[in-house]
This record gives sequence, C-alpha cells and structure tokens, in this order.
Amino acid sequence: MFGSVILDVAIGIIFIFILISIICSAIREGIEGLLKTRAAYLEHGIRELLHDKEGVKLASAFYTNPNIYGLFASDYKPLVQGNKLTMLKMGRSLPSYIPSRNFALAIMDIAARGPVTDEVSSDPASPIISLENMRANVANLGNPHVQRILLTAIDTAQGDLNLVQQNLEKWYESGMDRVSGWYKRSTQGIIFFIGLFAAILLNINTITIASYLSQNQTARELLVFNAEKMIEEEKEAKKLDPAAGNLDPSYKSYEVARNKLDNLSLPIGWKAGYGMATTAEDNLKGERYNATWYWNYVFGPPLGWLITAVAVMLGAPFWFDLLNKVMVIRSTVKPHEKSKEEASEDRQPPVALQAPLTTQVTLRPPAPPNEVQPPIAISSSPAVPGAAAEPRDESTDIDGCDVEIKDTTPDDELPEAKGGVA
Amino acid sequence: MPYSLIWLPSVLERAGLKVAVTPGWEDRGHGDVGRIFGVICHHTATQARGNYPSMNTIIHGRADLPGPLSQLGLGRDGTFYVIAAGRSYHAGKGIWQGLVNGNSNFIGIEAENTGGSNDFPWPEVQMLAYQRGVAAILKHIGQPAIFCAGHREYALPKGRKPDPSFDMIEFRQKVQAIMDNGAPAVLIPAVETATAPGQTKPRPTLRRGGTMNTAEAVSFVQKQLKIDVDGDFGAKTEEAMRTFQISIGLVPDGIVGPKTWAALDKI
Repeated sequence: MFGSVILDVAIGIIFIFILISIICSAIREGIEGLLKTRAAYLEHGIRELLHDKEGVKLASAFYTNPNIYGLFASDYKPLVQGNKLTMLKMGRSLPSYIPSRNFALAIMDIAARGPVTDEVSSDPASPIISLENMRANVANLGNPHVQRILLTAIDTAQGDLNLVQQNLEKWYESGMDRVSGWYKRSTQGIIFFIGLFAAILLNINTITIASYLSQNQTARELLVFNAEKMIEEEKEAKKLDPAAGNLDPSYKSYEVARNKLDNLSLPIGWKAGYGMATTAEDNLKGERYNATWYWNYVFGPPLGWLITAVAVMLGAPFWFDLLNKVMVIRSTVKPHEKSKEEASEDRQPPVALQAPLTTQVTLRPPAPPNEVQPPIAISSSPAVPGAAAEPRDESTDIDGCDVEIKDTTPDDELPEAKGGVA
Repeated sequence: MPYSLIWLPSVLERAGLKVAVTPGWEDRGHGDVGRIFGVICHHTATQARGNYPSMNTIIHGRADLPGPLSQLGLGRDGTFYVIAAGRSYHAGKGIWQGLVNGNSNFIGIEAENTGGSNDFPWPEVQMLAYQRGVAAILKHIGQPAIFCAGHREYALPKGRKPDPSFDMIEFRQKVQAIMDNGAPAVLIPAVETATAPGQTKPRPTLRRGGTMNTAEAVSFVQKQLKIDVDGDFGAKTEEAMRTFQISIGLVPDGIVGPKTWAALDKI
C-alpha cells in the first residue's frame, strides 16, 4: 500500500499465481482421480523395492498377501509397462497408499509362512512369525535382495521382533521417498501443461498483468489487501489447528479461488482481444509497446503465458512461502520472526527415514549376561520346530498318493531283493 | 547324475532289512530333494494282491502325473523297494512340525496295503520292517521319531488323506524304541538249524540271485513246486515260491529258509 511499487506489484503477481496454482492443482487432482497415476507409481516403486521388475514373483505375492489385498479392489495384475513410467500412467484399481506397517507385516508374513495363502499358511500349526522362523524360512521370499534386507533387519534388531518390523518400515519409507519424487515430477509436468492451457484459454498474461498493476494503484492496493488478508486468515487457521497445512483450506477449493480471481477485475480473458495492450492505461501510455507490433502480437502474449505456466508449475505452496517472505520484507516486522521456516506441507523436512540403525542398537541396554539374547542362528539341531529347509514350491502341492493303481506289477516283475538273511 | 538319497539302500540293508532296488532309481526324481527332515508314511490302497503290485505306477506315475510318486515302496513281505533317489510327489499340501514342503523335506514310503478291512491288521513282517526302516532312516538323518508323520496327519485340509491305516502314535513309539535300544535284526538263518532227515548237512537258505544257490538244491525246489526245472532261481521260481508260501501260511518272501525247507519236505 505504501511501500515500493515494485514490491506491491510482486505481491500482487504472487497472489494471482497462488490463485491460479490452486485452480490448476484442483484440475490436476481431478485428472489423478481418473487415472490413479499415483497407484501406478507406487506399484512401480514396490516392484523396484522388492527387486521384482516383472511383478510376477515377490511383488505379486506381496500384493496378494491379505495384509495388502484388502487395500484395493479386484485382483493384482502387474501393470504392463516394462520399466517405463509415463506422466499419465493408469493405476487401475491398485492402492494409492500402502501403510508402512502393512508393508512390514506382509514381508514378515511371507518370509515366515510362504507366499501362498491356502490351508497350509493359514493353519494354526504354520510357522510362527519369529526371528528364528523368518531366518530359517527366508528363502520363502525367493529373492536374494529382499532376503538379504530381511536378514540385515533381523540381525540389527538384536532379537526384538518389533525392531525388525521397524527396520522394514524404514526401508519401505526410504523407497517411498523415491515414489514421491517421481510423482512430484510427474505432477509438475502435468501442472505445467494445465497452466499453459489455462493461461492461453483465459489469456492470463503475466506481463500484461504486471504492467497493469504497475500503472493502476487501486488494483495494486486491492491485491495487496487480499494477500494480507490471506496471510492473516492462514495465521488464524494455524492458531486453531497448528497441525493444519500452510494454506487455509478455504483457499484451496477451486470455486473460492476462481471467484476471487474473477472479483479482482484483472486484465485477463479475451474481451479485449488479442495483443498486449488491453487496458485503458496501456492505451494512454501505449507508445511504449505499440511501437513494436511484433512484441504486442507475436512474442509478447506467448511469453506472458509461458511465464504464467512456469509459475503455476512451481505450485501454490511455493508462492505462498514467497508471499510470506515478500510480506516480511515489506512490513516492519522483524524478519526472523515471520520468516521462521513456515514450511509448507510439501517442503516439510523429510522425517528421518534412514535413522541410523546403530543408534537404535546402542540405545538398547546391553543384556545382562544371564539374559542371553535369543540365538538367531538356526541351531544345528534340525529338530527346531518350524524350521523349514526351503520354501514351499508349487510342486510340493502335488500329491500322487491317491493315484489309482491300474498298471499292477506282478510278483515276477519285482526286482531282486538283498539283505534280510544272516 | 544320482540324486542325494543314494544312501537309502545301504542304510536299510544295514538295518537287516530286505532291499530291492528298481533299475534307474539313482537318477529318478523330479529334481533333487531338499534337506530331509523326516519320513511320511503312506499306504498304496491298491486292491490287487501280490507282494508289491503298485510298483510300476509308483515309478512311472500315470498319464497326468509323472512318477516317481515316492522314494520307497514297502512290499507285503517287508521288502523295501527303492524307487527314487530324488524328489517324488507323495506329500501334497500339509504341515508337520512346522514343515510345509513335504515333497522336498520328507522321504515318502508307500507301503502295499489295500487300506481296507480286508488287509487289516497289517502283516507282522511288513509292519516290523516298516518300523525298522523308518527308524534306520531317522537315525541316519539324526532326527527323533516325531519327524515320522502319517500322511493323514500331514495333509491339509484335515481329512484329505486316510493313509496309513494304522495307529501313528503307537508306530512312533515303536520307532523311538528301536532307535533308542536298537533291535536285533530278525534275520533268516543262512542255513537250516538242524540237519533234516535224509540230508548229510543243513541245507543253505536259497533265494533269487542268492550266493548259496546250487543247481541241485534249486532243481529240488522247482520239482517240489511243480514248475520247469532248470536249476536257476529266477523271478518265476520266486513267484511260484511266494504262491506256495501263501498256501501254507508262511511269509511270502520267496526265500527258501528253514521253515520253507521243512514245508517243502512235507509235499
């Protein structure tokens, strides 16, 4: 309002970017709802994590494990995709999210009881999920990489089953970071195109808006006022619910943002026709632009749209952060008070996913000498109950014992016997 | 290349049991077995009579299911037939002692029995051989008797299998007793215990392919059985001898031991 014109123009532009970003994000969410790209990315991530690129062995067993199976409709079929992930990959009915606990339990269950769910793996006598059984039956996973991960998880857990689960959860979460990364990139790409499309369709030209704002004090003040109001509202919301994200939910909805944008009476839309100089003010001082028709009609508009699209791609949270910072510069409030990292949802520092395992190990008090850690190694005595030498394979289900004997062997065709005589 | 259960015949023979190997048993199997933890006991439920009429099917399987269907067969006279040294399809779905990979972790023994009331109780000589054989195998692999399961105990869902038709608890106790205390092998004497009347010395025990067979003694036996006399104790003579032994209530093992000699003399 009173500060420099440049700052106010910047604030106004940022505010507009936020609104457009929200609209474009809403459109992107709609597309995601149809395509379920995130599910496809998650499936791809799971396949990479489990070292099963074809999705036919462990990944398939994982998705059909009851711990996971309940999270999605219909049956698991690996998405035919080779190793290619496209921006608009269809996720079909697969789950978009898999809680890390379900993941860890599924892996432990498969390791102890085998990949198939049938009478055997659901029998009360089937192997108990214990460190010894998981270690002994680790070949059930049928995948050297994951077996090694599980063995590491078991060994670093020092005999604590819960720690094994936590180790697996952390491993999963570290893999999911990659999935989030892929997804974020895909989202940015899609939002760029949505932004470009919207910018052209609605003729949102950043350069035009900037020049309009720099010349129109009322419009500038209106925008700055709105921006301040948004930040205030956001703060209020934060007070009520500290856990809430950075943007007030009321701003996140498509309609609200759309209405706000409409009410600002900005030089957007096609009413004024094609070209850069679309406002009265521009026409008054028009010589600056009008002198060059190729700027007004050839390079200017596409460049303005492109800037809008790129800005939208950066996302509302980014612009909101920036708005906060610019406001700090502008106001008299001490900078560090306001610019304290009010990080947005997306920019939360990642939870320490790779918490050093050694810390955990050392945190556990050393066991007193008489309370020996349960031996993890499979004891040399083969009488360990539940110690399977190898996983069930498909052919173990074949039972020829009920074969009806038709081709009987007469006694004179029996082979010669030895032994039994002193 | 022979599979890993090549120790089966020698272990059984050392336990004083009659063992017959089927041609090609060393290489027979659906791949090799895994680590062996125990034994699963079956019966064949074949209705045909004879010492081991199921042998061909156990070896070759049937059209839709290739053999071998077990590693060992057990004839009615207590002879172990070694079918395969590799993996065989005998177990199917099930659990025993937490072990679920039946075909890979267990040796299957298919004992000849109809599984019905017409073949119960089992012949004593066969049941004794069953217990001794299982005990010898478990001892060899260093496992206690509990790792001997009946197929009906192993199979899931419960009730899928009826075999074997004897009490597994008692069977395991007997096996454990044999493993703990050992049991003197019940062997057929190599020669008659006493010189029979009209003979100069005790006659040796004759059997198919036996080392003590003499043309003269075998010819005498063949004459008594009223079959072609050629002085050679072959498969036909053995078959006729089994028939004869059944007719007089002896163990139909085709071996001419002291009891059979005595019976032959009376013809």
